[in-house]
Amino acid sequence: MPSAQFRTLEREKRFQNPPKDHEEIYPLLKDAIRPHLGSFNALTDGPDGGLLNLAVKDIGTKTIFDTNDNSTSDRLGNKLKIRVDSVQLVKPSVNSNDKLSINRKMLPYECRERMITYKSRLLLKVSWTVNDSPEEFSEIREVGQLPVMVNSNRCHLENLSPEELINYKEESDELGGYFVVNGIEKLIRMLIVQRRNHPMALIRPSFGNRGASYSKFGIQIRCVRPDQTSQTNVLHYLHDGNVTFRFSWRKNEYLIPVVMILKALIETNDREIFNGIVGSDIKNSFLTDRLELLLRTFKQYNLYSKQETLAYLGDKFRIVFNATPDVSDIEVGKEVLKRIVLVHLDNNADKFKMLLFMIRKLYTLVAGDCSPDNPDATQHQEVLLGGFLYGMIIKEKIEEYLQNIRLQIQADINRGLAVNFNDRKYMSKVFSKINENIGQKLQYFLSTGNLVSQSGLDLQQVSGYTVVAEKINFHRFISHFRMVHRGSFFAELKTTTVRKLLPESWGFLCPVHTPDGSPCGLLNHLAHKCQISTHDSDVSTVAQCLAKLGVSPAHTFAAGPNVCCVQLDGKIVGWTSHEQGKVVADTLRFWKIEGEHGLPLDLEIGYVPPSSKGQYPGLYLFAGRARMMRPVKYLPLNKKDILGPFEQVYMNIAVTPEEITNNVHSHVEESPTNILSILANLTPFSDFNQSPRNMYQCQMGKQTMGTPGVALVHRSDNKLYRLQTGQTPIVKANLYDDYGMDNFPNGMNAVVAVISYTGYDMDDAMIINKSADERGFGYGTVYKVEKVDLSQSRRRGDPITQHFGFGTDAWPESWKEKLDDDGLPIIGVKVEEGDPIVAYFDETLGKTKVKTYHSSEPAYIEEVKLLGDDNADQEGQNITIKYRITRQPLIGDKFSSRHGQKGVCSRKWPQIDMPFSETGIQPDVIINPHAFPSRMTIGMFVESLAGKAGALHGIAQDSTPWKFSENDTPADFFGEQLLSAGYNYHGNEPMYSGATGEELRADIYIGCVYYQRLRHMVNDKFQVRSTGPVNSLTMQPVKGRKRSGGIRVGEMERDALIGHGTSFLLQDRLLNCSDYTQTSICRQCGSILTTQTTVPRIGSLATIRCRRCAQKLESYVQKHGYADDSDIWEDGQGKKFVGGDNTSTVAIPFVLKYLDSELSAMGIKMKYNVAPC
Amino acid sequence: MSIDRSKELSVRITNAERDRVNFELFNVDLSLANSIRRVMMAEVPTLAIDLVEIDINTSVLADEFLSHRLGLIPLNSEGIDKLAYSRDCACDNYCANCSVKLELNTKCDTDSTMSVYASDLAKFQNGLTLGNPVTRDAAKKGPLICKLRKHQEIKLTCIAKKGISKEHVKWSPCAAVGFEYDPYNKLKHTDYWFEDDAEEEWPKSANRRFEDPPDKDAPFDYKATADHFYFDTETVGNLPPNDVVLTAIETLQRKVADILVGLKDENVETSNAQSGGFTTYGRTDYDNNGGETPSGSKTPYGEFGGGSAWN
Repeated sequence: MPSAQFRTLEREKRFQNPPKDHEEIYPLLKDAIRPHLGSFNALTDGPDGGLLNLAVKDIGTKTIFDTNDNSTSDRLGNKLKIRVDSVQLVKPSVNSNDKLSINRKMLPYECRERMITYKSRLLLKVSWTVNDSPEEFSEIREVGQLPVMVNSNRCHLENLSPEELINYKEESDELGGYFVVNGIEKLIRMLIVQRRNHPMALIRPSFGNRGASYSKFGIQIRCVRPDQTSQTNVLHYLHDGNVTFRFSWRKNEYLIPVVMILKALIETNDREIFNGIVGSDIKNSFLTDRLELLLRTFKQYNLYSKQETLAYLGDKFRIVFNATPDVSDIEVGKEVLKRIVLVHLDNNADKFKMLLFMIRKLYTLVAGDCSPDNPDATQHQEVLLGGFLYGMIIKEKIEEYLQNIRLQIQADINRGLAVNFNDRKYMSKVFSKINENIGQKLQYFLSTGNLVSQSGLDLQQVSGYTVVAEKINFHRFISHFRMVHRGSFFAELKTTTVRKLLPESWGFLCPVHTPDGSPCGLLNHLAHKCQISTHDSDVSTVAQCLAKLGVSPAHTFAAGPNVCCVQLDGKIVGWTSHEQGKVVADTLRFWKIEGEHGLPLDLEIGYVPPSSKGQYPGLYLFAGRARMMRPVKYLPLNKKDILGPFEQVYMNIAVTPEEITNNVHSHVEESPTNILSILANLTPFSDFNQSPRNMYQCQMGKQTMGTPGVALVHRSDNKLYRLQTGQTPIVKANLYDDYGMDNFPNGMNAVVAVISYTGYDMDDAMIINKSADERGFGYGTVYKVEKVDLSQSRRRGDPITQHFGFGTDAWPESWKEKLDDDGLPIIGVKVEEGDPIVAYFDETLGKTKVKTYHSSEPAYIEEVKLLGDDNADQEGQNITIKYRITRQPLIGDKFSSRHGQKGVCSRKWPQIDMPFSETGIQPDVIINPHAFPSRMTIGMFVESLAGKAGALHGIAQDSTPWKFSENDTPADFFGEQLLSAGYNYHGNEPMYSGATGEELRADIYIGCVYYQRLRHMVNDKFQVRSTGPVNSLTMQPVKGRKRSGGIRVGEMERDALIGHGTSFLLQDRLLNCSDYTQTSICRQCGSILTTQTTVPRIGSLATIRCRRCAQKLESYVQKHGYADDSDIWEDGQGKKFVGGDNTSTVAIPFVLKYLDSELSAMGIKMKYNVAPC
Repeated sequence: MSIDRSKELSVRITNAERDRVNFELFNVDLSLANSIRRVMMAEVPTLAIDLVEIDINTSVLADEFLSHRLGLIPLNSEGIDKLAYSRDCACDNYCANCSVKLELNTKCDTDSTMSVYASDLAKFQNGLTLGNPVTRDAAKKGPLICKLRKHQEIKLTCIAKKGISKEHVKWSPCAAVGFEYDPYNKLKHTDYWFEDDAEEEWPKSANRRFEDPPDKDAPFDYKATADHFYFDTETVGNLPPNDVVLTAIETLQRKVADILVGLKDENVETSNAQSGGFTTYGRTDYDNNGGETPSGSKTPYGEFGGGSAWN
């Protein structure tokens, strides 16, 4: 039977005496962030020196000559070969200029509090030789400080116990997995990319856009080098039967006939190519016809030997690859093959074989004998991990660094400076002249998420790679690390097919936990047991095992879908028959789980059986990094097996032990809850809810005002929400405790009555018991941090002229009410808008000034922190002030249960007026029964029932989904518990009206439900304006709450007002409360732009005249010979006029005047007829 | 709905404990019975900490949160009638006549966590039990206020004042007030939801033992009213239950008397249609109530004046 425990004392003891063992940290939580940590650790860890050292090996050597024009002259000059020998990343330490610190460690908490970056020095060992001499020079260069992942192997927190973590001012269970950039916690989010090293058959209409004869058929393979950078190769089928090889290099596309690549790879002939593609299927005329054409058309190139072909390729790609003149065309051609073609393989023979396989797969696809592979299915996907991406960027920046050295030397030559490669001084000068700050570029990447890259890194997007790991509550925080995005390229796609939930993702991506709205289906979350491999598994024994199982070696005469091709990580390792292939797959699986043949447990054995027009068959083994994996139980051995999405499609896995059928199922799920994400698992009885409600809960759980952490004093987040009266839920899934969620409570247990009472619970409103509110129900706090930086007002390098504290001049005594003697605010003091928060003395003015508090919401001063600078030798110019804003529940604040049932508090109802049961129990919260029929959140009813039974018996209740069945319903289970406590079996109770004392006509469903307070609060949202700022051009109210602007009465609102005939209101909104203006108008000419005020004469007031209708005094006098003195008026410039006095004042919206002015500028005159009405 | 006046009002106490009393009320109107319940819950004056002057608070709890916790501590309120409401007292802010002063001065010097209990509140002697924190646990410690770690300190003065729970729940003498009538549902005020048989499925009220089971054959008495009420008053310990009940009745009486006084001719204002039909009923304190105006009387459109705008 389901069981759960409160474990309150256990938790309290853990908090009071944090464990001294690293192993005590919640293992499931550690697993949750493992992909991030593991991928970052792989950069510097590993037998081959980590990915970064593999990367610099792959970059290779750059050659530079010290003559200027190296294309024409025979003499090339002195030759410098320069390379990066190795990369080293040290642990973060304080700035070397800092002479004071004894503890040289830089810790993450300090970075968070000081709003700086947690980074450490990246060291490159640069080596060079001159003129190929055996003597090699080298120098270790520091290339900036690289942001370092918290808790990684380059972090001081690695493998610390909770107790040590607390001493380092972290959470007791700090997990890491993120970077601290400018005090903000950032993480690189995981991206879905194509599965590596597996050729995927595609039918894409856009393939046809590449040229006249290009068809929609193609084979795409994303090859990944050992350093985790990738290169995508595509084979295109042309309508005439030809095949071209396409790749991108530095964001440009290149197309090569595939036969040219084949011939360049190894010394081969047409026969060998023919055999390698056709195999024994020579009767397949579709294939042989096309192959003949393929080989025949290549004849026009007249390339026969490997060397010829390589030279041809090298000639064409010499410029693209920036090859120096000392390299032969053949060498360049080899370089092309090495850097472009199937880069996951290091052997040309393997590349050749794989290419033949791909060509055959393409022809099979074209013939319709196999189906295209679905790139949206998890089967063909893997995850691009943050650490690997980070390494890819570092690799590219190191390559750029070497290029910069070349450019710098080139520039020196051009400028005619002395270039001497043998002179170390010269080399040092070159180093010092170029931008050596790689660390800063990565800091830019982390803080903006923008990828600045020459090559594009084989990725489809340039921005949106990083997200802030917001600590609104723990649910939100942990979800960031389990989030996988499909790529922002797909977000703009009009089709919704990529967003579909496919059965292939079972157990890998959570079907529930995805947001609704625009990112729906693109932003997924990993199922809670899903892991991502971050290291290459040991596959040394695979070949041996395969041989033992009778798989013929790779060079066998075999090809095509009629035989079973055995591949390991994109390398053809053998051939066998389909019947034998199945046996091989099954045996391998048995062996790897048994663990005796040295096969890694996470080896993915994807056996694709032969089928009629189905997926291209074969046996595909994978053991590389970045694969999704999940544990299931293997039935024959009753042991754990680790599955990947490729193999899972062709396996029979029972969901529950009950449904295991003999000779059908080979595996059984460890638990059906393994398909859900962490958050989705926490929804109680989610199997009773309508599915969208569970999605909503996953969203709302992340917006809850909960407990962001317990080391809040050591954080300086801009805004933190905290629930002061959090509780452990009575009803919780067992995983809740396994994930340590109780360390960060997210809500309160509330007595909830489902009743329509007083009408204030209409339309998803909820009534809160006023007394419950006064006892602290939902009481929360918002912490805000403001940074005061005095150095902002001066330029860098200028002397300090402003000092914190009071000066000797006279300043208002009232400042002392809020500020202490040191000029800093008193802890605990209440500040309101305009109150001083810090005093400083300005030397240049000789005056004491204050900064004031800018928020209409009063706050209390929680903390003041004095921040020093990196060198620790200067007077402090920075402080941060943490404000505490109390947020008791107010009318308009948002609450929700854990079932996607959100509501707004509509009233705090007096306790005596609340309905009550016979025992005198009154609900804390009243919700309306109408919230249920259409939403079908039966889980909430069950939770209410379970919560009530749990509260009555003093026990915790397990709410793990799928624990009950049709024959064993929760209604019965908890009903019995209620019955034994003397309550109604169904959870109903007769209740009485609090106002009249009369018994209510119906019995009421009342129970305990865990309620979350959401962070959307009226205090952050209300907007009110009577008068306020206006736009200077139109004189209409500005918009926006921050600027105390108005709310637009738009077209539809206007329509409604017209429809109601409320013309007075309409005028009030659209004119009087907007840009009502009175303006003068000339009745004669009907213009509002030509009127002006006259210069008042002594003894009379200024009048308004139309300048256009007036006559200049001279011309008037000329005409009439005489002007009465009283008729003459004067404008501001001293010109005199007569007439134009037929003016009046009208009320218009000011924009009309603006419109008139704009039109007059276009030469259009507006004329108004003025008449009394 | 009227009660048979021939029958005498009577009370029967069925169970009395230190913090709880069960009693029955006979021959009263439902409205009166409910009024007693409501007054017990909301209008029985007790003593609770209302003002906290914090000198030092280096605990992990914020000042206002600590104050809130202090407010909810039940204080012995026996003899509260001798204490005046602060608002009625002649003193400026508070004085011994209208308040009880308590002090908390504690500091943790040990390496382990120190718990601060309500019993650590030191009361300024007033010669009475009034204001002593209520302790019901075996160790006589009372509710936990907060926990302190080494070097954390709390130094504060609390001013406990008299008040009623209508204002804030901390002044409530009651934990819960059970209230029931008609346990057999003879009056058919409610409808029991059932699957097969309501009588089978519903738990029986304990109060059924005081009543006769309904006669199945008797016709439904549609004139019958509820006249037998079961109360279960549970206090939080600041007042003994009998005090709660008696004070409640007294308060109720006074309220009724106030209505009688208010309804006397000379006190009743005639409805003034000219001023928009608003009467003040003696309420004059709107202006000094922080700008809160009664709707209609001081709106910007005041000169249009009530009904006249419609003419």
